Amino acid sequence: MERSTQKNGLVNFLTLLVVGVAGFAVARSSGSLGGQVAALFLGMGLLVALVSWFQMRLEENERVERLELEELAKCHSATAMFDAKDSEVFPAQRAREQFERFFVPGFSALLFLIQAGGAWFLWHWLSNPATAVAIRNPSTALALFGAFTLVLFLLGRFSATYARLRNDRLLRPGASHLLLDAFLCLAVSIDLGIVWSGSPKADAYVAFGLCALLVLIAVETLVALVLEIYRPRVKGKVERPLYDSRLVGLLSQPEGLITTAAQALDYQFGFKVSETWFYHLFFERALKWLLLLQAAAVVLSTCFVFVDAGEQALLERWGRPVPDRTLLNPGVHAKWPWPIDKAYISRTEQIQTIEVGFTPQEGKEEETVVLWTKAHTKEDNLLVANREPAVEETAAPNTAAAKRTPPVSFVTGSIPIEFQITNLVAWAYNNGDAMALLKHVATREVVLYCLSADMNELMSSGRLEASRALAERIQVAADARGLGARILAVGLQDLHPPVKVAEDYEKVIAATQTRQAKILNAMAEQIRTNALASGQAATVVNRAQSDRIAREAGARAQAALFTNQIPAFQAAPAVYAQRAYLQTFARATANARKYVMLTTNTHDVLIFDLEEKIRRDLLGDLDVPAPKPTK
Amino acid sequence: MKRNPFSLFIGLLILVIFGFLLFSFQVRQSEVAVVTTFGRPTRPITEPGLHGKWPPPIQRVYKFDQRMQNFEDRVTEGQTRERFNVLTSVYVGWRITDPAAFLPKFAGSANPIAEAERKLDERLGNIKSAVVGKHSLSDFISVSDSGTNLAGIEGEILRAIQSEVSSNNWGLEVAFLGLKRLQLPESVSKAVLDRMQAERKVLADKSQYEGEKEASIIRSDAERRAADMVSQAESEAIEIRAKGEAQAAESLAAFKKNPELANFIFSLNALENSLKDRSILIFDQHTPPFDILRGVSTNLLNPSR
Repeated sequence: MERSTQKNGLVNFLTLLVVGVAGFAVARSSGSLGGQVAALFLGMGLLVALVSWFQMRLEENERVERLELEELAKCHSATAMFDAKDSEVFPAQRAREQFERFFVPGFSALLFLIQAGGAWFLWHWLSNPATAVAIRNPSTALALFGAFTLVLFLLGRFSATYARLRNDRLLRPGASHLLLDAFLCLAVSIDLGIVWSGSPKADAYVAFGLCALLVLIAVETLVALVLEIYRPRVKGKVERPLYDSRLVGLLSQPEGLITTAAQALDYQFGFKVSETWFYHLFFERALKWLLLLQAAAVVLSTCFVFVDAGEQALLERWGRPVPDRTLLNPGVHAKWPWPIDKAYISRTEQIQTIEVGFTPQEGKEEETVVLWTKAHTKEDNLLVANREPAVEETAAPNTAAAKRTPPVSFVTGSIPIEFQITNLVAWAYNNGDAMALLKHVATREVVLYCLSADMNELMSSGRLEASRALAERIQVAADARGLGARILAVGLQDLHPPVKVAEDYEKVIAATQTRQAKILNAMAEQIRTNALASGQAATVVNRAQSDRIAREAGARAQAALFTNQIPAFQAAPAVYAQRAYLQTFARATANARKYVMLTTNTHDVLIFDLEEKIRRDLLGDLDVPAPKPTK
Repeated sequence: MKRNPFSLFIGLLILVIFGFLLFSFQVRQSEVAVVTTFGRPTRPITEPGLHGKWPPPIQRVYKFDQRMQNFEDRVTEGQTRERFNVLTSVYVGWRITDPAAFLPKFAGSANPIAEAERKLDERLGNIKSAVVGKHSLSDFISVSDSGTNLAGIEGEILRAIQSEVSSNNWGLEVAFLGLKRLQLPESVSKAVLDRMQAERKVLADKSQYEGEKEASIIRSDAERRAADMVSQAESEAIEIRAKGEAQAAESLAAFKKNPELANFIFSLNALENSLKDRSILIFDQHTPPFDILRGVSTNLLNPSR
């Protein structure tokens, strides 16, 4: 092994050291999660490069030792020295063998622990919501990681080619790690570019992706360690270093995949497809132009902004609003490519809603029936004044003149507030979080309104008026804060007493209904009683009328009859009287039971048993009290 | 060695891009920035646009959102002047006015804006308690719009926090502040809920028994009116009958012509009327027409004998 290889290995190690430290510092200072995970890969590469460089030195020592011995052997053909054992004669060889036998497996095991432990730690660390922070100066971090990419790629490419040409197995692990780290730095650069363009979540996704890659490499290292135990040892055969990951090699030199694919094609088609003009044209010449064209298309796509119906966009050039074109309306607009011009699209005409007065709870918002007696969200208790308490409080004499605090009650409910963005420039540039401020302002107005509103009014007749008044108040407050929003509606439909007392409110409603029912029943009875009484009165009067008529008519008839009877009587007074008597007697006694005493014996005693003739129904309703028991 | 112009171009392009990124930075309309040279703030930037800088570690750029920031402070418990416990929280609007002064005080943390808000929150806790303690509950709650003094309370808290911020030169200004929550402690809330329940019970009972009362009134009124109607009808009936009697009495003049006969006829009528129902009459042989039987042998009545 030549010294240049060793130097190359040392350069690889030192480069990984410098880039690793710098990369970690940049990632930490910018807060890039992807960068920090990539720094672990750089650290692993550093260890691999160090061990491989050390192994190179051992092999170099061994080679020098052999050369020296060969020189000596030429001078002294047979000496006692060559009779000695190999371990005594070849200390450098022995050191290298011991190194490969004990240190390399130990180092590989350590590498596995670092990979597995690192993946586990990073995964938990990334899963913690407190880990993610806003990335500071993404453009600077992007540039630095880009620079790391260039350095690592150039050096890694040189080392990989050098290792392949010289078939140097010990230079390859460090070169593979250099190239892999170059690709990872490129991934971090792209990730930072995406973050810079306004998608901060990309950083976390890249970090998790790198973690998953670390897990794969750890699994490969473990498998290699296990296989190493059962691998047959052939004396004199040059072995691939245990820490030289095949997966890292494949990822760092993806052209190996293309070569494998070409070989598979050759096998399938039965001729050398990889040597055809198409293959050479496509893969060796056109591919890079296609990739360049792809990159150009990406850049070109940032030269146009499409604003949909209902949207508006803010156009900034180098961060400054573009004069006369600050606000872009629906349509296609040309602009300078990113990052010179940036467009921020917002849905301005969309009716948006903020909710005040409750904390949303997952699942509960989908309930189709919303009742007072069942909590549908975590509702806040809003204080309201009671203008008309159920029982008038008696104020102390000395407080009569002073301001008295009214009894307070609670009201709860979700209050949706609908709004539209009317001035996107004001909405975007005046406040850091315009939506949150609008919610604060709206909540304040709701709280203040409730504090001086009457609860009963608020939940009944005054609801519509309160809704209008609140919308006006929130609009005034939003305008004062320069929010550029128009309040469309404030919904108080869900306002109700707290769940704990809601049932009592319903009982009051029920009692009101009961009261009404009782009154209505009484009114029904009133109608019945009055109607019957009216009927009875009419009957009494009618009977009297009829009696009167009968009486008058009877009297008149009797008088007329009498007037006509007088001549008859005068004509034969005795006969007429007797006839009248007998006629009347006959009529009157027609239905009577008659007993006629035809006896002259006045001494006889006649006994009539009239007992059975007593009407039983006269005694039927008599309630005769039971005789009291005698003491 | 063969030079590939394509690779050279791409490499050069990448170098130019990375170099440009290293030596320049953008400040958005919504941002302010501070450039530090070897850690010392040297250039505050308040105008948006493209600006130059030396690459790290010579110069570093710290950018802050210069728009109005807002946050809600923690809910804190305080006592009003009459020792009534209330829970309050406010929202605060603030902005960075001097990035060079703001940087050394807050840029050490991962999120300077959040750190500044945490500091403001700490100060607000004290100030709120002090201001709330100077006011009575009636300044917070009133039955009329003009009854509360909330605007005044908010103004007092705002002036106090503005004074603290300016005296410490935090590089920021508190622009506005508003009351967001006014609540009662849990134990007091429970008592209020109990009172609300009792109040509802009063109203429920009131409704129920007032209903009964009204029903009783309606019923008794109906009965009274019914009795009135019947009694009025009866009195009317008596009057009608009396009129009938009076009218009938006019016919009595006809009977003056022969009072003896009239009385006889009246007697006959009375006799007839009195015997209408089932009666048992016992006559002797002297009573006409049975007197016709007088002197007739009783055997004649029974021919079989």
